[in-house]
Amino acid sequence: MKKIGIYPGCCFQGADIHNYDITTQFLEHMGVEGVLLDRAACCGGGVIDETNKKIVYGLNARNIALAEEKGVDLYTPCNTCYMIIAKTKLALDSDPELKKKINEILAEEGLEYKGTAKIYHTLNLIRDFVGLDEYKKKIKRQISGVKVAPYYGCHVLAPNEVAIDDPENPTILKEVLEPLGVEVVEGYKDEDTCCGYHARFTEPEQKERLAIKPLDGAKEAGADIVATPCPLCHKAMDGYDEPILQVTQLINVACGSTPEEAGINLNKTEVKLSL
Amino acid sequence: MKKIKYTARIKRYNPEEDRSYYQDFEVEVEDSLTVLELLMYIKDKIDPTLTFRAFCRSAICGSCAMIINNRAGLACKIQAKDKIKNGVIKIEPLKTLKPIRDLVVDQEPAFEKLKKIKPYLEPDPKVVPDNLKSESLVLPEEFARYDKQTDCILCMACYGQCNALKGDSEYLGPFQLTKVFRFIMDTRDGVDVEERIKLAEDHGIWECVQCQMCFAACPKGISSCDDILELRRIAKDVGEENIATRRAKFWFATVFETGQIDKLHLPEVAFSDEKGKKIRENMEKEFKQRGLREDEFGPKPFEGIEKFRNFIKKIEKEL
Repeated sequence: MKKIGIYPGCCFQGADIHNYDITTQFLEHMGVEGVLLDRAACCGGGVIDETNKKIVYGLNARNIALAEEKGVDLYTPCNTCYMIIAKTKLALDSDPELKKKINEILAEEGLEYKGTAKIYHTLNLIRDFVGLDEYKKKIKRQISGVKVAPYYGCHVLAPNEVAIDDPENPTILKEVLEPLGVEVVEGYKDEDTCCGYHARFTEPEQKERLAIKPLDGAKEAGADIVATPCPLCHKAMDGYDEPILQVTQLINVACGSTPEEAGINLNKTEVKLSL
Repeated sequence: MKKIKYTARIKRYNPEEDRSYYQDFEVEVEDSLTVLELLMYIKDKIDPTLTFRAFCRSAICGSCAMIINNRAGLACKIQAKDKIKNGVIKIEPLKTLKPIRDLVVDQEPAFEKLKKIKPYLEPDPKVVPDNLKSESLVLPEEFARYDKQTDCILCMACYGQCNALKGDSEYLGPFQLTKVFRFIMDTRDGVDVEERIKLAEDHGIWECVQCQMCFAACPKGISSCDDILELRRIAKDVGEENIATRRAKFWFATVFETGQIDKLHLPEVAFSDEKGKKIRENMEKEFKQRGLREDEFGPKPFEGIEKFRNFIKKIEKEL
C-alpha cells in the first residue's frame, strides 16, 4: 500500500478534531496508508510572520524534514497549510544558502531538509498520487439529485507558483466532484471571492461580509450545497443559509461511509444527501 | 509567423446607457501578439470604438492593467496565445474600480487612498543633510529591505483583484499599504513609525484576508500581502494593542509551548471580552457533548518539545 505523511495542522484540533477522522477515512477509501507526522508543528498560519517571518521557514523546513525522515511525501487537506508549506519548499529549493543555514540548526534535532518530499493537498493527491482513474474505481455509490457548487478557496490557486491547477481556469474540483454523481454548478457569482477566514481575528466583520458572498452566489445559481476542499473555508462559511461541505466528506460518503461517519451531522447548516 | 484563429471576449461598458455587456470578436492574427497588440488590432481593424488605456508597451508605465482570463495583469506583458482557453480569451476591466468606458476604469478612488497614507518621504534631519553638497547615504543592505517595493508602477493590477476590497470598498488597497511599508523601511524617512502605522490602520492592514491575489497579480512580483504582515508585525512591536496583535502574540506563544496554536483559548485571548469567554465555554460544552476527553480540547506538547523550542530560538537568533 502506498504511504503518505499526514501533516497535522490546526484544522485537526479543538472544535475541528473530526477533520482528522474525515482525513484518515478519506485516505483509507483511497487505499493510501496515512502516516501521522506526530512531531510536526503549526505552519505559521500566516500569523507567525507577525512575530518573525524567518520562523515560518524554519517551522516548515522542519515539517517537511519530518516527512522525509519517514520516507514519505507530505499531505495536508488545508489550503493555507498547503500554500505556506509549498511556498517554503520553493524558497528552500531555490536558495541553497537558506537551506544550508536551516539544515545546520535542524541537525541538532537529528533532522535534515533534503527537498525530496512532495507537498500534497487533497486535490493534487487525487489527481497525481492516487490518479483520477483509480479514484473513480473507489467510488461505490452515487450521490444523485444534488446540485453542488465547487468552491476552491484561494490558497490552492494563488500564488501562481504553488497553484495545483491552472489558476485562471481550474477544472480539478469539477473532475473530482462529477464522478460522485452530483450535478456540478459552475460560473456562479463570487465563486472566486475569498471566504475571509483569515480576517476572523483581525477584523471579524470583514470575515462576515465576505463569507456569505460565494454562498449567496451559489444559492442564486441553484446549487443545493457548496463543496470546498479546504477545512478553513468550510469553517468560515458554515452556519449561513446555504450549506457547505468539504469535498472529502462527499467523497467519503460516495465511497461507503455513512453521512454521520463523514461528519456531515456536525455541520451548523443542515445538509441532506439523497443516496 | 504563424496565424491563429480565436475569439476575444471583451467586457464592454457604455456610459451613455450605463450598460455592461460582453462582445465577441473573431480574429485571425499572428500568434506572437501580446494582449495589448490584440486590442490594438481589434480597434484598428474591427471596431474603432473599443476603448482601453495603454502607453509604453513595455510593462513600465502601468497603464494597461486589466483582467485577462479571470486574473489581473498588464496587457502589454502577457502573450495572447498563452491565454486562449477553448478558443476564447476573456478580457475585462479591473474589478474593484468603476468602468468609465469599456476597459478604462476610474483610478481616482485608488489614487485618493494613496494620498491618504503620505506616499512621500519626509527627510529625517538626523540622516538627510540640510545642504545640496553632501549626499544622503543608503547602504545596500538598508536599501535591500525595500528595494522590491520601489518597483511598484501604480498599475493597480493588485487593487483590481483584491478580495479585501470586495468586503469593504473603503479598504485602502494592496499597493497603498506596500507604499506605507516602503517608507517605514526607508532610513531617510523622518515620519514617526507610529504615525505611518496609524495611516495604514483605518480600513487598512487588519482587513486584509491574506488571499495572495495581489502577489499573483503584480507584474513586478511585489507581495503586498507579505508587506501587510510586516506592517502588522511593526504595529505589534510599537505597542499596538488590539484583537489582531493579541492573536499574533498568543499564536506564537502557544506554538512555541506546544508546537500548535491553542484554538480553544484563542477567541478568549483575542477578543479579550465576555464574547470570547462565551465562545470558549460553548466550545467546551460542545466537546463534552461530542464525548471528547479534556486532554483532547487543546494541543499538548509533543515528544521532544524541548528540542523544538531550542530550534525556534536558534532560528530567531541565527537565521
